[in-house]
Amino acid sequence: MTASGPGSPGSTALVRLVAAREVSSRIRDKNFIVSSAVILLLLLGMMVFQVAVGGVEAGRIAVVADDGRLGPALEAQGEAVGVEVQVVDTMDEAEARAAVQAGEVDAALLDGTGPAPELLLVDRDPALEAVVGGAVSGLAVSDRLLEAGVDLQSIPEVAVTPLGDGEDDGQQVVVAVIGIVVLYGLLFLFAQFVAQGVVEEKSSRVVELLLATMRPWQLLAGKILGLGLLGLGQIVVIGVVGVAGALAFDLVDVPGELIGTVATVIAWFVLGYAFYACVFAVAASLVSRQEDLGSVLTPASMLLVVGFFVAFQAASDPSGTLAAVTSFVPGLSPLVMPVRQAAGEAAGWEVALAVVLMLVAIGLAVRLGGRVYSGALLRTSGKTRLREALRAERA
Amino acid sequence: MLEFDGLHKSFGANRVLDGVSFAVAPGSMFGFCGSNGAGKTTTMRIAMGLVRADAGEVRWQGRPLDQALRRRIGYMPEERGLYPKMRVGEQLAYFARLHGLDGAAATRAAEHWADRLGLGERRRDQVEKLSLGNQQRVQLAAALVSRPEVLILDEPFSGLDPVGVDALAEALLEQVRGGVPVVFSSHQLDLVERLCDAVGILARGAMVATGPVAELRRRESGRLLRVVVPDAPPGWAAALPGVRVVSERAGDTLLELAPGADDQAVLAAALRTGRVGHFAWREPSLVELFREAVAEPAGVAA
Repeated sequence: MTASGPGSPGSTALVRLVAAREVSSRIRDKNFIVSSAVILLLLLGMMVFQVAVGGVEAGRIAVVADDGRLGPALEAQGEAVGVEVQVVDTMDEAEARAAVQAGEVDAALLDGTGPAPELLLVDRDPALEAVVGGAVSGLAVSDRLLEAGVDLQSIPEVAVTPLGDGEDDGQQVVVAVIGIVVLYGLLFLFAQFVAQGVVEEKSSRVVELLLATMRPWQLLAGKILGLGLLGLGQIVVIGVVGVAGALAFDLVDVPGELIGTVATVIAWFVLGYAFYACVFAVAASLVSRQEDLGSVLTPASMLLVVGFFVAFQAASDPSGTLAAVTSFVPGLSPLVMPVRQAAGEAAGWEVALAVVLMLVAIGLAVRLGGRVYSGALLRTSGKTRLREALRAERA
Repeated sequence: MLEFDGLHKSFGANRVLDGVSFAVAPGSMFGFCGSNGAGKTTTMRIAMGLVRADAGEVRWQGRPLDQALRRRIGYMPEERGLYPKMRVGEQLAYFARLHGLDGAAATRAAEHWADRLGLGERRRDQVEKLSLGNQQRVQLAAALVSRPEVLILDEPFSGLDPVGVDALAEALLEQVRGGVPVVFSSHQLDLVERLCDAVGILARGAMVATGPVAELRRRESGRLLRVVVPDAPPGWAAALPGVRVVSERAGDTLLELAPGADDQAVLAAALRTGRVGHFAWREPSLVELFREAVAEPAGVAA
């Protein structure tokens, strides 16, 4: 051949080619785009919901003719009940009315320190009403008491002493549970993508053409790697959006811990994906039609579903025996261990052990799976038995 | 030379190949014939490393085929296969890259072959949107796109209309002129006869005949004799020693002579029936050679 003739691509080049094809064809796939959008929207929706029920919304209150005491009283009252209050001074009633109607402020307080205080708002808002009511009556009471000569200094204040260990793990566990839902969803989605890809190649018979240029393991590795990178990209995007959103909406107290938990979930995604993608791919290689995929994927899917439910159980009882034991079981650990870690229940050596066990399982899945995959790939008719595939050989 | 040397293969108790050997010279076209299940596909799959031979090997330029050498082979599997949702151009470029072309060269080659095979307009269409005939062209383009040194094609003509057959034949002949050895299997023996420099006939896992079509014909000629005797009664030649009646229709008789049978005795017998309109050796067609070759050997108990 001439100098510009074909060279011989090495394993790395072949695996990269396969991976690049997976990414480029999947990224244009409607299902993928829709599912990505749905997950992000769900996440954002969840945060907006948190904000809505969390009551950290700022309420703007216009105050007419404040004598300098109403503003601070409203803000203090707002803080006490968890509603942020912004006070806007206005000159007269007409201006305040116009501001409410224009939506510039949420409410306007007229004659706050007078005998007939009045609150103007577009729609009723119990939280705001409570804040204003409390502040106005508080001022009035202290005024009356002062008039009566009562010493306000002597009113006892309640001292607050938290009895927890000082760390708020509850929030971390909530983050971990959200992480587990995302992790579970993505593991399922991407392992399923791998399985569908394997069957697509078998059912369209393109696999014979592919195997004339590469070894089965190169095809398998490229496929798992390509879709894995896509999955990793997606979970990182979700993580970043989640963390950024949580910080922007001020949903968490300790950003460092939030980021730590998200990073843990992402790391477990990598391990979980490697395992499930391999198992799903191998199972899928046994059938030749998409219709048969469900039946061969059932055992592996069951494991994933069990892991999901155990992880939820672990979230409510992170120190329980079930959580402790299952957090070491390969296949379950990616879902359970992050919860225990977030709850601060897992020691360093426990995490390390779970990771090692998982790596061993991945190694086994790759080796055994590779053999089944090679043996079953060219049997493009009907269903291949696991044992037949293991026995089948290939050049 | 592309050499298939002593291939043996059994699937369980089923012996599929029993010593298949043949060679294809560079710049020649080899037609691979055989009845269904004779082992043609298995032979080709062994060459492509998709099935492991129990014994024997396939060599190209004296070296046993390995993964690297196989990337220089253009292959068209019997079971057509392409990514249904991938675009024609991208798909061709992908296969070119798998065979070792770099990105730019692969894109150029994909464009070139799509145009050559009349798919230029459809380059951006998904393969599944194409008609079956056009999908077949894409399949062929996938085999040719990597500028292969060798072509191994399993039933490339099946499912093509006559225009498609001509286009494919022309493309293959061009490859042959460029020095590429081409092996293809086909049931369309007239096509094999027209295109191939040499043929191989596979029966029961072994090559029963190989060589240039003309040579095979010569080897077989001197055995079939056509005699036209309009006035002869039916069965006039049945009793002649060493003669088997292949067909007889209104005096137009085709006779097969066993080695050593006397053709002059046949002529004498024909003259005894009356007028002889025609008396000549007949060159067998490839179809007849094929039938002859794949017929179960009579009287040989398995």
